[in-house]
Amino acid sequence: MFTEEEVAVFLEELEEKLQVINDNVLILEREGGNPEVIQEIFRAAHTIKGSSAVMGYEKMSTLTHEIENLFDRLRQGEMEVSETLVDVLFEALDTLKLLKDEITGPAGEVDVSAVIEKLRVCQLTCGAGGPGGAPAGGGTVPAPAKMSDSRELGDTPTPAQGTGSDLLLPVGQVAGTAAGLSATGTFNGYQTYHLTLELEDAVEEVVREAEVRGFQAYQVDIGIDQGCQMKGVRAFLIFETLQQIGEVIKSVPPAEDLQEGRFEHGFTVVLLTKEDAGQVHDLVFSIAEVSSVEVRPVRLQSGEKIPAPDAATGRAVKKEPAPPGKGNVKTVRVDVQKLDTLMNLVGELVIDRTRLDRFVEVFESRYGSDDLVENIVEISNHLGQVTSDLQEEIMKARMLPVAHVFNRLPRMVRDLAHKMGKEIDFIIEGRETELDRNVIEVIGDPLIHLLRNAVDHGIEPPEERVRLGKPRTGRLLLKAAYVESHIVITLSDDGRGMDPDKIRQKAVEKGLMTPEQAARAGDREILDLIFTPGFSTAGTVSDVSGRGVGMDIVRNQIEQINGSVEFTTAPGRGTTFTIKLPLTLAIIRALMVTLGDHVYAFPLTNVLETLTLKPGEIRRVRHAEVIVVRGQVLPLVRLAHLFQEKSKEEGKLSVVILGSGDKKVGVVVDRLIGEQEIVIKSLGGYLGQVPGLSGATILGDGKVALIVDARGIVKDAGVEEISYEVSRAG
Amino acid sequence: MAGEQQGELQLVVFRLKEQTYGVDIGHVLEIIRASDITAIPGAPDFVEGVINLRGRVIPVIDLARRLGLAPINVTGNTRIVIVEVGGTTAGMMVDGVSEVLRLSQESVQPPPPMVAGVAATYLQGIAMVDDRLIILLDTTRIFRREEKEALQELAEQAEERAAS
Repeated sequence: MFTEEEVAVFLEELEEKLQVINDNVLILEREGGNPEVIQEIFRAAHTIKGSSAVMGYEKMSTLTHEIENLFDRLRQGEMEVSETLVDVLFEALDTLKLLKDEITGPAGEVDVSAVIEKLRVCQLTCGAGGPGGAPAGGGTVPAPAKMSDSRELGDTPTPAQGTGSDLLLPVGQVAGTAAGLSATGTFNGYQTYHLTLELEDAVEEVVREAEVRGFQAYQVDIGIDQGCQMKGVRAFLIFETLQQIGEVIKSVPPAEDLQEGRFEHGFTVVLLTKEDAGQVHDLVFSIAEVSSVEVRPVRLQSGEKIPAPDAATGRAVKKEPAPPGKGNVKTVRVDVQKLDTLMNLVGELVIDRTRLDRFVEVFESRYGSDDLVENIVEISNHLGQVTSDLQEEIMKARMLPVAHVFNRLPRMVRDLAHKMGKEIDFIIEGRETELDRNVIEVIGDPLIHLLRNAVDHGIEPPEERVRLGKPRTGRLLLKAAYVESHIVITLSDDGRGMDPDKIRQKAVEKGLMTPEQAARAGDREILDLIFTPGFSTAGTVSDVSGRGVGMDIVRNQIEQINGSVEFTTAPGRGTTFTIKLPLTLAIIRALMVTLGDHVYAFPLTNVLETLTLKPGEIRRVRHAEVIVVRGQVLPLVRLAHLFQEKSKEEGKLSVVILGSGDKKVGVVVDRLIGEQEIVIKSLGGYLGQVPGLSGATILGDGKVALIVDARGIVKDAGVEEISYEVSRAG
Repeated sequence: MAGEQQGELQLVVFRLKEQTYGVDIGHVLEIIRASDITAIPGAPDFVEGVINLRGRVIPVIDLARRLGLAPINVTGNTRIVIVEVGGTTAGMMVDGVSEVLRLSQESVQPPPPMVAGVAATYLQGIAMVDDRLIILLDTTRIFRREEKEALQELAEQAEERAAS
């Protein structure tokens, strides 16, 4: 059996390859038979086929084999891309996803025979060439697909004996390809064992993984005495010896041939080991009848491959669409938890830095500017600089490109559009924009909801568009970009847009407003009603939307991660949603205030301004206190009331004006301390959500300060605002 | 857990309202003095607040209140026993920690339905040591999330009703 870790590696790769197939089939549908795209899909299918076979997932292996066959024929130009083909491919892709679920969860038995049948029929009918079903062997390019899977290098001593025992999965995966490669090798004389190996993708991946774990890959060229009587035994012995210090992941010719003595004067292996080249050399050379040993480290250079010795394997051109600017970056896989821990430690540093700053201030005021003090100021400044840099770097390490979310969307839009009978051109920009992984996890759902809305309600059916004088095909643009210290994701459609008057009508129907209120309210206010729970602009609840998830949930989800969502719309011209998200969630700037004996923090994103008031400036509307700031009436909340604290307020009042969405509210506190960078700490699972609070932070003096849930306060105060409106009207 | 196999228990023993209680030492991370607790407005009344435990924000409960007794009077002897239960770290404030005790599994008796006002749900058993009674508390139950507990109680009540 395979360990959990190995299965996880497999699943991760599977996920990645499925995405590749998905993306490329979409391109295929749009652009037809682009050779590069076909090649990409072929390769991905091939990889899945290989690894799923090794893992023993037969259905998956059979299905991908069939896909691979199909693409092989496409590649040879024996077939053409058609609509049926794309549909069948999507079906196959869905089946693969089901098969994946079968592995991960208690999903029901997935039947692959139907889709396999369709793929075969497709091969027969869509083809322009010869009989379908068995393209393997008939092609002119000896692609890895045709390599025999029957022989496994892994048959040699079990990896558990080697130091690289945890490499079991990839080794097996490699075995098939390694065996095939031998077919291209020709061994005619002395010199030929100095082969330059072409490393298959799979082998490269193994090598990369191994490097991460501290293994080095060597190409070992071994020459055997010409007079050697039992070459097979010798080779076996060499293998055995090498297994003691590492893992042989590949050999030319393959292990079986070697053991039966089917080689000339030498052979080549790729060895993964923690030993150095010299030791490997000495070890092999110590074996009798070994005439020469050459050990060379295997260098991996993505994109630039060591050319294959045989022209027939001219697959050396490797097209790996690397993200721009990433080039050949060496990477290490790090446990997410480790990153979180690092982030926490940096948080501690930030706190200590704040403490030191305070200390420096005291020092300066007490001792003036003597040398010692200046030294400390310098150290403090430097520490501050280093801490911010560290913080930034770790933050970057936690970042993932939004592609992780975006890549799932085109297929969804395609399917939706098909279902709704709409024609949509879905454009994605800024996939490479990076976001904190916690943020990435959250934005998926809101985005899907907005897209559904756009496809369902926004973009008109083609006929209607034509009638309106718009292009037949609707346009949907999803774009991510950095704006200052935020990420802004915009989703624009060129559809119907929203009509404030229709919403007015709806609001009255739903009893959210009286007809008079609705008539008096401004367009903006009316439009924002879409964020009210239970409000839907759809005339009919379709299969697509109206699943009980409304725009209110979208806004909530986004605000939960300190983001905001706004939109502009023009009837007949479309709607644009703008989602603004913070780069990270862990550290924020906050306004610190005191109330009673305690310190509270207001996230600066919600603080609009601060002011001091005389008690006489507070007015009353019914039972609610309000203040007038530059002509605008704002509800006033006393934090002391909210938190049932004893206030020390006297004389002048300190007020923090908070804003969220379009609402504003004034909050009375005892004293303003100032701005500070704080590390957000959760109150923990035991306490869960505490009303009015969004977390805690640790202050310079080691005490805990609570972070005020500014959005919550603004939201709750809104009720009073409405009551004010009502009182004004009545 | 090895101790349990040998039929031996190690307890952290503390005082609370003139009574002696014990919790399995396996759940106890450390014991600290009670100071600088930040009150949390709006939290249940047995929640004393949160403390900074070397950079972590940890909730602290008043164990006496949690067990339905009168609140603890904070004195110089008051301690916070930091425990880790089910992935959550939390502190419980007690009147004073007296000792760490080893005792045999046999000396523990199953809990009677009610002890000094403490609901049986929080009890693991009663230990008799040299004529002393030590009430063994089940920390996992004490630090169960409130809502879960409420749901559980509802379910239990429903079951009782169905059974009767």
